[in-house]
Amino acid sequence: MAIAHQFAYQKVATLDEAVEAIARAGPDVRILAGGTDLVPWLRDDAIHPDLVVDIKAIDGLDTLTREGDHLFLGPLVTFSDLLTSDLVRDHLPILFEMADTVASPGIRNRATVIGNICSAVPSCDAGPTLLVLNASIAVLGPAGARTVPIEEWFLGPRKTALSSGEIVTGLSIPIPTPPHGAIYLKLQRYQGEDLSQAGITVLVTGDNDFRVAFGAVGPIPARAHAIEEALKGKDLTDGLIAEAVGLVAGAISPITDMRATKEYRARICEVMLERGLPAAIARRDGTGPAYGTRLI
Amino acid sequence: MTITRRPFETDAAAEELAFVGKSPARIDGLEKVSGAARYVDDFDFGPDLLFAEIVESPHAHALIKRIDTAKAEAVPGVVKVVTGADFPFGFGLYMKDRYVFAQHRVRFVGEQVAAVVARDEGAAKRAAKLVEVEYEVLKPVFDPVFAATDDAPLLHPDLADYPHVPWFFPHEGTNIAHWRKTRKGDVEEGFAEADLVLEDTYEVPRYAHCAIEPHVVVSLYDRAGRLTMWSASQSPYTQRHVIAEALAPLGLTHQQIRVITPYVGGGFGGKAGVSMEIMGAALATAVQGHPVKLRFSREQEFYNTYQRQGLKARIKVGVKSDGTILAVEHTMHWDAGAYVEYGANVVNAAGLSASGPYRVPNIKIDALCVYTNLPPGGPYRGFGYSEFNFGLESHMDRIARRLGMDPVAFRRKNAIVEGDTLAYGEKMNPSGLLECIDKVAAAIDWGTKETSDDRHKVVGKGFALMWKAPAMPPNASSSSFLKFNEDGSINVTVSGMELGQGYLTVMAQIVAEVLSVPPEKIRIETPDTDRNPYEWQTVASHVTWGCGQAVEAAAIEAREKIFEVVHRVHGFEEDSLFLRNEAVHCATDPDFELPLRDFVIAGLETDDGSYRGGPIVGSGMFMPEFTSARSDPETSQGGHPNVHYTVGAAGVVLEIDRQTGKMHIRKTALAVDAGKAINPDLVIGQIVGGLVQGLATVLYEDMRWGEDGRLLNPTFTDYKIPTSLDIPEEIVAIIVEVPQPDGPFGARGVGEHTMIPAAPMIANAVEDALGIRITSMPVTAEKVALSLWEGEA
Repeated sequence: MAIAHQFAYQKVATLDEAVEAIARAGPDVRILAGGTDLVPWLRDDAIHPDLVVDIKAIDGLDTLTREGDHLFLGPLVTFSDLLTSDLVRDHLPILFEMADTVASPGIRNRATVIGNICSAVPSCDAGPTLLVLNASIAVLGPAGARTVPIEEWFLGPRKTALSSGEIVTGLSIPIPTPPHGAIYLKLQRYQGEDLSQAGITVLVTGDNDFRVAFGAVGPIPARAHAIEEALKGKDLTDGLIAEAVGLVAGAISPITDMRATKEYRARICEVMLERGLPAAIARRDGTGPAYGTRLI
Repeated sequence: MTITRRPFETDAAAEELAFVGKSPARIDGLEKVSGAARYVDDFDFGPDLLFAEIVESPHAHALIKRIDTAKAEAVPGVVKVVTGADFPFGFGLYMKDRYVFAQHRVRFVGEQVAAVVARDEGAAKRAAKLVEVEYEVLKPVFDPVFAATDDAPLLHPDLADYPHVPWFFPHEGTNIAHWRKTRKGDVEEGFAEADLVLEDTYEVPRYAHCAIEPHVVVSLYDRAGRLTMWSASQSPYTQRHVIAEALAPLGLTHQQIRVITPYVGGGFGGKAGVSMEIMGAALATAVQGHPVKLRFSREQEFYNTYQRQGLKARIKVGVKSDGTILAVEHTMHWDAGAYVEYGANVVNAAGLSASGPYRVPNIKIDALCVYTNLPPGGPYRGFGYSEFNFGLESHMDRIARRLGMDPVAFRRKNAIVEGDTLAYGEKMNPSGLLECIDKVAAAIDWGTKETSDDRHKVVGKGFALMWKAPAMPPNASSSSFLKFNEDGSINVTVSGMELGQGYLTVMAQIVAEVLSVPPEKIRIETPDTDRNPYEWQTVASHVTWGCGQAVEAAAIEAREKIFEVVHRVHGFEEDSLFLRNEAVHCATDPDFELPLRDFVIAGLETDDGSYRGGPIVGSGMFMPEFTSARSDPETSQGGHPNVHYTVGAAGVVLEIDRQTGKMHIRKTALAVDAGKAINPDLVIGQIVGGLVQGLATVLYEDMRWGEDGRLLNPTFTDYKIPTSLDIPEEIVAIIVEVPQPDGPFGARGVGEHTMIPAAPMIANAVEDALGIRITSMPVTAEKVALSLWEGEA
């Protein structure tokens, strides 16, 4: 697997060193964490960085900890880490369910959650789930540290709020007050590893506060606030589900590409919401299918 | 997943077999599970190794006006840049219509125009981008039906000049590279007498083999002028032959070319014949003294080796109201791609057999091999039969339903049996088709409707038959050498390829049976054309049958030498001797027991202290001496093109989510008449693997093409092949054994056949469940859902 493009490579020991390296090198710098997007893009000549900064040797970046009512993920936390973490299982099992749909075990062992949202492809699996969890992204740059709410993170396909010279230092995810239930439904072409054709995460809290986000059916993963408003505080009935399903078309803007037609995507988003709402409630109430069970 | 193996009856004679009909451990098993097995890319060729990168056409159809290699040559590390001008040679297996590098004209996106050889892969890739090629873009053609008309751009103006085998019929001045016509009876009379005639068209797109190991070849043209190639190939001898023919102008002969083929990571037909290896051979001659590696990327694997050809088929079938088939008319336009040197024989095979495993009095088949500006078509497991069977077995289901007949009863009524006349006039071989049908129907409880607890889901059942004959030149042959070692163990050399199917183990079992030496004491090396004897190719599901006979003959020759020397020293009549448990025994002297290890190298000592005999060796050869490709070009009558057909049946219980179109296979059963399962576990492996591969082609494998003829999904990101999560819930593997009279122990091939019924049985199950008929592959969840919604709207 030859890489034709020639670039400088620097393995850094600290985040500050990373920021300095990025600043010195100019605009076309790429960060190497998992590399599962970066390396294929290099191979395909899709990107031409002057410098690749390898952050794998920085101590502590693989931290996955609970900080009060938040879960904190360092930049080197992988999808496999989400699958094996007791903290995730106990507090945010939706992260387990999401991670379980990402690629295959070999990729999950390397691919990082933060890399997934930095690559920011419209079908990124982490997107809808982090959106309903109101995650926030910690960023460090020449001007210091700042925090970006996830809803302000995605700007377009492969575009994020990360400014030139900045690097992501962590992801903070509020743990919803128990009880809560959630579900990630992902339309795939088959049972094996696949990119999302359409995805939805639904989260419901004890007071019937619903949060809904879609992936792969618009330029960015996005919350469906109109649907959330229609559901807010109400008990789920067939009529209410139908009302919510009626709002799906307005919440998404699917396109036709080689993975699916927009018609199929749109209709399946309705089906996924129709199935996802009662399933999220059932999980909240302790009667739902185990996290990781595939409902479509 | 559950795999159920249905017990099968064995006759009394079979009970006496010690090694055939058993499932010993694979003789290559330990090497593979331990990682000891080596593949081409595992070998270390030292610091002199060079790397090649191909410059590819961005156009589907264009003339090459100018190539400038100066900038590429200036890249540090570059050793050589070559173009078509350096190798103005055509090549091909059955028709010499392909070129080492494009000559003046490119005919598909990705075609090789030039190549760079460099000291590292990065430099080769950088330099390849700097080769400047100026094109005059021409109008491409992608649709085979249009391409066959006079209005289409002509792709091969030199078609008439291409050497080809005598059973091809190219049409000069058109894009029709070969037109196989088969005529039996009079279809118009048949349709006139019919109570029901159904006609429709079916479309089958292209598919990729997706062997896990991509094509790779390392070639060394040494200072003495010998060309050695380490090649990931199914066909070492055919490679040597095709390359010797093509590169003869450079002074290369068969003697000067050596092809070594270590273990190969899957083939499925894609590594048969010669595709990219021709470039490896040519490049080596340009950098004499240095080994050069050409290793295809996954993308190149998709678009510049072989693809399974696309098919547009029009099928017309006439039946009587009692279900008797009177006439089948099958017109097939094959999208054969830019070069058809191998693919035209796929078309030929389909053209002889596209009436299916049925007794049909009136047949008219037209199989047109049409050039298009897509990648070259070629052999793919099933060799045309999967393609035409989608339409044919869909059509037979529809006919039965329209008659109000049970589709299985309809098939049973018309199923071909031994002695029935084939489309080209020969008689059908012994066949257990009826037994296959009955056992599959029983396995899926055919006739019993199933339901789902989920209100969104419905369940349908589908059924399909299959058949296939090896498609081989009439003189395709095999041979084998065998030698004993001091400990009574045996080495066998053959030149068939272990592709994962278990061929080496089966050959060892045949030798074991003849010589009473257990398979674990038999070592069989992968081919090296300098040392192993000739084999045509490992294709056509023929090696168990064909090479098996050569191996059996070698073992018998060795046995005769053993008996002869024992006779000379001990005086027993040779026909009283037999082998058991690695020793010679005598029917007339129960106490006589002479272990093989005592004399198969050292010989037997006589009373005076001198010895008789010597190292025991054997050789065997096989060629089917009854076949002939000579027949009437207008009717295909008069020849004997196929050695025999292997038949079978398959069924599926398919659960479909009406809201999403998603399909879940609750159960699938496949029965194949193996003649004799020399290794039942390996036959089951073929049943499971073939079904899973066939199901993938119908359920989700889906090539997408740009309007410019570019393949849009040449990776596993968007071209999906099955994972372990995609195996059906239950697979019932059924082995039927109606012996093939000329097969080793009655065996015939089963390797390709098991994927052939998969696609139509799914389409038939979809209709059974939902009442919708899908006539184009693949039958994806999305296609099912969109069809359903269209019906609802």
